[in-house]
Amino acid sequence: MITCGIDIGSRTSKIVLYDSSTGKSLASLIEDSTYNQKELAGSILDKALENCGLKQADVACTIATGYGRNLVETADETVTEITCHARGARTVFPEASAIIDIGGQDSKIIFVNGDGLVRDFMINDRCAAGTGRFLEVAARIFGVELDQMGEVSKNPDQQVDISGMCVVFAESEIIGLISKGVSRSSILNAVERSITKRLLSMAGRGKFGQQVVFTGGVAMNSGMVRTLQQEIDRELLIPPIPQITGALGAAIIAFEKSRKNK
Amino acid sequence: MENAMPVTESPAKIDIIEWDALYQTVSQELLSRYNYPCMIDDEIKHGLFPPSAFLSEGDTRLKVLKYDNSFAALRLWNFLLSEEDRLWEARRGGKKIFGVMKDLGTASIIPYAVKNSVGFYPDGAWWTPCIMELSAGLLDIADKMGVKEDCCPVRATLGAFVDGKRFPVPDLCIGAVGTCCDDYSAIMQRIEALGNKFIWWELPLNKYRNKPENDRQLRKLVDFVADELRAVAKAVGEVAGEEITESKLHKTIQKANNVRRIIRRIRDLAYGVSPAPIPALETLICEMVVIHFCSDIDDADPVLGGMLAQAERRAGLGWGIASEDAIKIFWVNPVADLKMMNMIEDAGARVAGSEYLISHAFNIIDENKPPFEALAEAVLADPMIGPSEDRAGMIIKEIQRYGAEGVVISQIPGASHCAYETNLIKNIIKDKLGLPTLEITAPSICDGREAGFSTRFEALCEMINERKR
Repeated sequence: MITCGIDIGSRTSKIVLYDSSTGKSLASLIEDSTYNQKELAGSILDKALENCGLKQADVACTIATGYGRNLVETADETVTEITCHARGARTVFPEASAIIDIGGQDSKIIFVNGDGLVRDFMINDRCAAGTGRFLEVAARIFGVELDQMGEVSKNPDQQVDISGMCVVFAESEIIGLISKGVSRSSILNAVERSITKRLLSMAGRGKFGQQVVFTGGVAMNSGMVRTLQQEIDRELLIPPIPQITGALGAAIIAFEKSRKNK
Repeated sequence: MENAMPVTESPAKIDIIEWDALYQTVSQELLSRYNYPCMIDDEIKHGLFPPSAFLSEGDTRLKVLKYDNSFAALRLWNFLLSEEDRLWEARRGGKKIFGVMKDLGTASIIPYAVKNSVGFYPDGAWWTPCIMELSAGLLDIADKMGVKEDCCPVRATLGAFVDGKRFPVPDLCIGAVGTCCDDYSAIMQRIEALGNKFIWWELPLNKYRNKPENDRQLRKLVDFVADELRAVAKAVGEVAGEEITESKLHKTIQKANNVRRIIRRIRDLAYGVSPAPIPALETLICEMVVIHFCSDIDDADPVLGGMLAQAERRAGLGWGIASEDAIKIFWVNPVADLKMMNMIEDAGARVAGSEYLISHAFNIIDENKPPFEALAEAVLADPMIGPSEDRAGMIIKEIQRYGAEGVVISQIPGASHCAYETNLIKNIIKDKLGLPTLEITAPSICDGREAGFSTRFEALCEMINERKR
């Protein structure tokens, strides 16, 4: 049975076609989200199907998730990104106890119990200082590619802190630090620690457990991985393509629903 | 019971346009029995109007809400939305107007003990930025006066006093201070500084609740509050030109208790029966009516009575506005944006229990005790004037009573009590009941963040559904 998961995020949209006979993803695609999310959902589905030589009729069930989930016309149902990320992460790492997802515009911490069920979650969608957006701002200021930031921030020559409660103020702080002659490496390191601090403050007294999965585009940033690992004092588990975790979860939920309805 | 008569047979939530169509089906004879004022084309008209009629008063938020489709709900909305116009009419009619502030439910009874007096709740202006979608500019006025958004949105009350368009300047404001939220205490003081006449009374800290070993201390508190309320009654009597005797107060307490008995029954049906016979939004409004009778204690009784009859009838027929398996959510703290009450239901849930900081207004006041003593005991049950652990304990009892499966704690941005106690309450609920608990911060208008709130509500429902499976 082929099922489909579509995750329409605020920055990127992802699709996974899942083949239950092999238990693997047949195809996945990631594209930048556009204003017309309805059209985008249709076009990434068409592309993914074309890549696999499939037709829409071959897909038994489609679940849409993410910010724009209600705009996906081909979806049979919608499920929130909280449930989908948890399911996707547990599929890749069956013992996962917590999922940290940092996307372009929001961040989430999801705690799951021993049965793989979500037991608590927190979302930050108000403060860009705890999201990938802050990394983008910092990368732009320093002219560094996002995937190179981790290398640059690896060896700071001094510890500086960014205390700004929002990206706009934090950006001013960065400019201030530059004018004081603080190195690029130290400032980018401070940016990563600032995002981490803001993110982890959401968790309150929530316990991460041993198997913490890091998903979302920011999980590909080695500097953020390093800083988060230091803060929570354990090695993070990162799926091979961390951005598609929600879409994978959605495709698997679609399979479970189809099986149940048969 | 005319209010038990439904406009349509099956309960549903309908929008403002659908209400317009439904309104056309109501008999003119029935409509002509009501006399609620509404400003239409710059002229006050009286009757019973569809919600859309109040758009001309600037209540534009009504456009996005979904309403219960019963006649009883239509009357409830007219009662609520006509309050400001009724206050202006009371002023023109020579009635004395008392602004009862902060205690949320007890001191408001006192002005009704004298004739030609109206007690209202200026704090209710905190809903104006929502209902009028910020067009009244009340928060802007408060901003300009230095009471900015780091303060609770109840600062809109300050804006309303300065603006002078929302309600008439009260002949006397009755301000409760002491163990109340410091934001509002500061706002009331600013309102007094504008030249408004105040009688202040103290809400003391009650840390002796539910502890029999502290009966003696509790007794002292009751005596203290009774004396405070006597002073309030004396001041009200002086302004009204009529002494408030214990006998008059006793009769008013009986009236208030009638309203309280109705709301207790409404809550039991709305929160306890499946499917929910009336929506969360109308239930919230019914609860809010009780704290100050929406400026008319005599009409509050039949208005809520109509809602009760409607709920009883539907419950008896097994009719509801949500599906039988809707997730039962207990809601903590009121929301400024009324749309949130629709949104939680759209996510597949129903509200099954609430603690909107006004639970003490639903207790029956002891009619066998001297009235000031009885009122003092009612005041001391206020969930906000004791330790947060006590409030959490009250919430837990109510969660168990209605069998709620999850909890939403809605923080009011800038409200100091939320910052202090939200985590504490959340952790106590989790520790004692293990229920999924969602914490949100709801602004006056949630449109820009609607998708985020919907995701949270839906995720909470998914979480609870997965557990049930």
